[in-house]
Amino acid sequence: MGKIFSLVWNEVSKIFIQKSTWIMYIFLALLVIAVAVITTTTDMSGKEYGADWKEELRAENEQLTEEMQEEEFLTEVNTQEIEMNQYHIDNDIKPVTYDAWQFVIDNAMLASVISLLTIIVAGGIVANEFRWGTVKQLLIRPIPRSMILLSKYIAVLIFALITLVLLLVLSWLTGALVFGVAGSNPELVVRNYEGIVSVSAIAEVASGYGFKLVNLFMMATFAFMISSIFRNSALAIGTAVFLMMAGTSIVQFFADREWSKYILFANTDLTVYDSQMGPVQEEMTMGFSIGVLAVYWIVFMVASWLFFTKRDVAGQ
Amino acid sequence: MAETAMELTGLTKKIGSKKIIKELDFEIHKGEVFGFLGPNGAGKTTTIRMMVGLMGITGGDVRILGKSVKSDFKDAIREVGAIVENPEMYPFMTGMQNLKHFARMSPGVTKERISQVIKLVGLENAIKTKVGRYSLGMRQRLGIAQALLHNPSVLILDEPTNGLDPAGIREIRKYIRKLADEDNVAVIISSHLLSEIELMCDRIGVIKNGELIGIQSVHEQQTEEDPVREVRVEADPADSALRVLKAHHGIEAAGDEGFITFSAKKSLMPSIVASLVSADVLVYRVEVSSASLEDKFFDLIGENVIG
Ligand SMILES: Nc1ncnc2c1ncn2[C@@H]1O[C@H](COP(=O)(O)OP(=O)(O)O)[C@@H](O)[C@H]1O
Ligand SMILES: [Mg+2]
Repeated sequence: MGKIFSLVWNEVSKIFIQKSTWIMYIFLALLVIAVAVITTTTDMSGKEYGADWKEELRAENEQLTEEMQEEEFLTEVNTQEIEMNQYHIDNDIKPVTYDAWQFVIDNAMLASVISLLTIIVAGGIVANEFRWGTVKQLLIRPIPRSMILLSKYIAVLIFALITLVLLLVLSWLTGALVFGVAGSNPELVVRNYEGIVSVSAIAEVASGYGFKLVNLFMMATFAFMISSIFRNSALAIGTAVFLMMAGTSIVQFFADREWSKYILFANTDLTVYDSQMGPVQEEMTMGFSIGVLAVYWIVFMVASWLFFTKRDVAGQ
Repeated sequence: MAETAMELTGLTKKIGSKKIIKELDFEIHKGEVFGFLGPNGAGKTTTIRMMVGLMGITGGDVRILGKSVKSDFKDAIREVGAIVENPEMYPFMTGMQNLKHFARMSPGVTKERISQVIKLVGLENAIKTKVGRYSLGMRQRLGIAQALLHNPSVLILDEPTNGLDPAGIREIRKYIRKLADEDNVAVIISSHLLSEIELMCDRIGVIKNGELIGIQSVHEQQTEEDPVREVRVEADPADSALRVLKAHHGIEAAGDEGFITFSAKKSLMPSIVASLVSADVLVYRVEVSSASLEDKFFDLIGENVIG
């Protein structure tokens, strides 16, 4: 056990000693700051409510109703807002102003940037050793090749986790500086497929990011596999990024075929089971998708393992 | 005879249908520096890759302190330190970070041991510098330090003198002799240039087209006053000449159309001729090659060794 710990330690330190990792992190930080700036300038932050917030909301609703009578096209938007306000009043939940928590929630879209960074690391972690020639030094140790490979895979997952935590912390701090903090875990009112519900901010963060991790996990494993098979990082990163971008289109293109439900990307977004949109094929269930994902994962891992452990390491 | 550190038995590598390495058989003793000499493309690196398990073995086996690389890889490789092809290290890490990285991969490498190997190769001043800034000579030294971390019984260096200036080669020779003489390490050094390794080796094995042509002890070559020569005799009848050589001198000769050829020391020639004559063999001609076997041996590979 001590041995695998040392190996993982080696792999993680190699990731973080490289300058490219820190360049990626600077890029991520700039992105978060850019989103904060855009949010403030476009004034999506909403207004603040005082002690008699129920009165304020009622007044707001009256105004919205008037507006919608005059301007037909506002009907839908305003109705939704009126419903939200009413929910706040009925359930006695004071609306919180836009703050660090909501900024973190909105930044869940940046999870695809984490996927990208993780793919870059996963695509290079095996291939780079071949490019540097250091793979020879790794493999002439009293350690089975499968253990070396496993330590690299674990290192990729640790990198993804560290990057995720970094994004959360960075978003929260930036949000706190720019928008302030409304509480330690404020109650938020959101609209989902069930209608309007109230959730805690932390729960919303967890589900917002959590579901995005499925795609990250699968694409990182895919890049890792290509890296192990072809020993070429550009190929691994290229194919994984391409598939990640094209995934939804691929599914849409084959949507009318029965077998489309077995396409990886038809199963990576588990939120479809919690929304009105629904899965590609009606008969699909959450359990089905998890099963399909598990099969893909096993195939990716077995292929990586076979190519890494069985093939000769000869001159490149 | 010294203890065997590494033993190759019928080692063979096939890639596709092509036999790249053909039934290599030899052994290397503890405390010995063994030169593995051959022209480019002879199969030195391929052999070394099989020795350390980077390439699968098609036939035969490699044993290190009696443990098979094929079936007992972990225990066999524990005793080996190697540089295969180039001394490649992580360029973005310092010498020290590289050594610590590899130290974590072998059991029982202490901090003291790390400082010890740094001192041995004289890298104290550069150890905190990134390897990307190292010269080839420095990388070669770091490579040797890395290979020695876990106190291996066998050290394998693939063309360690490649690209080094004479001073660099002399320095490598110094550590290698020290390791063999003081620490009883078996060292295998490959090279395509005899001149670069002959001074540091005890024995030299020559490989060409994947075949072992011969093994020569370097010291014998330098000290022997009466070397073995190739001899060709025109004799009739040839088969009784063969019999006489075998019976009186224990020499296995080969017969071919009235000629017999064999190897013998020059000082033995008068008595050989006398016994042939007294057995009523007609001797028409005796040719003793002027070159020693060793000379011929190096002539054979010399022309190709440069390439
Ligand atoms: N992976 C490979 N596939 C096919 N042929 C190879 C491979 N590796 C080496 N060879 C061939 O094997 C021979 C020996 O190569 P090598 O061991 O590198 O020689 P050396 O190290 O003595 O210069 C060469 O003819 C080379 O072309
Ligand atoms: Mg070579």
